[in-house]
Amino acid sequence: MTNREKYKKAFSAVYPSDEFSWEVEKMKKIRKQHIYKTMAASIVGCIVFMGSVTAAYAMDVGGIQRTIQLWIQGDCTNATIEFNGDGSYEIEYTDNEGNTGHRAGGGIAIEADGSERPVSEEEIMEELTMPEVEYKEDGSVWVYWFDQKVDITDKFEDGVCYVKLVKGEETLYMTVKYKDGYAVHPNKYASPDKW
Amino acid sequence: MKPSVEILIEQYRNNLYVMAFSVCKNAQDAEDVVQDTFIQYWSQKKEFESEQHIRAWLIRVAINKAKNKRNTFFRRNALPLEDYVQTLTFESKDSSVLFETVMNLPEKYRIVIHLFYYEDYSVKEIAGILRITQSNVKVRLSRGRLLLRDTLKEGWEYDE
Repeated sequence: MTNREKYKKAFSAVYPSDEFSWEVEKMKKIRKQHIYKTMAASIVGCIVFMGSVTAAYAMDVGGIQRTIQLWIQGDCTNATIEFNGDGSYEIEYTDNEGNTGHRAGGGIAIEADGSERPVSEEEIMEELTMPEVEYKEDGSVWVYWFDQKVDITDKFEDGVCYVKLVKGEETLYMTVKYKDGYAVHPNKYASPDKW
Repeated sequence: MKPSVEILIEQYRNNLYVMAFSVCKNAQDAEDVVQDTFIQYWSQKKEFESEQHIRAWLIRVAINKAKNKRNTFFRRNALPLEDYVQTLTFESKDSSVLFETVMNLPEKYRIVIHLFYYEDYSVKEIAGILRITQSNVKVRLSRGRLLLRDTLKEGWEYDE
């Protein structure tokens, strides 16, 4: 048996689950939901809590619900975020045109010893204030951070782009690897070799 | 040309799923990637030159989406790969070992190895899909093969 035959035989064990829907209409609906579940990539978030912290205990779901302002691709929206206590969260927001949207996500943190745990509310909130990189279908690449929108399409050299973001006294040095993630640091540009 | 997405789903869903899984190592994420890839095909106006063009485009998009998914800080409470492997039915122990060995390769080698051995793409075609040079593909292929050989011993032939 050739290597290719062995390889194909081994990977023939991998296939999508039976429950997976392949109907396009369902896919469109599911997509809207799981875009949110797969996380905050499209959300740059939260400058301040409304007032101080508007927190209410949602007894019906057992989570903590807070009202926040959420930046979504450069636009500020009002939103409520609910932490489910297992590292996941759900967000409901109203955009500038009055449309209601829902997003959800969640994640795990990997400890130094390799063990995993659900992320904390603080870590979720911190992540929601991170910059976002969007690769548009027209090929352009944008960085969003709070109200800032930066076109970095032409700033890549050898697949890496360096962006300095300033908001008041806060500065972020951002290293973006084209379609391969990014890193931010408050004092210096992270080396692209580090990840 | 632009065939209906239903036809492409029938034709490519399994291959795209395996491709996506080999990048993000998570079944649910891989399913998301495949759906997103088909939705992107369905929602854009791009015309394609040939079936090969479509297949290469779908694979490139799936790889990029899988990389993006893997790179997000947050991800699902993923079933560890080891646990997922236990749910799979392999024809033989050798197949199981080969699968796990491939999945433990560094990603850049794993993707090239998969495109070569599973998708039957040539070095030139892989270079086009990944937008890297042919020599880069050859290096990755060679190093990936060596790593496979180191682990699998006689279970993987020299085929360079």
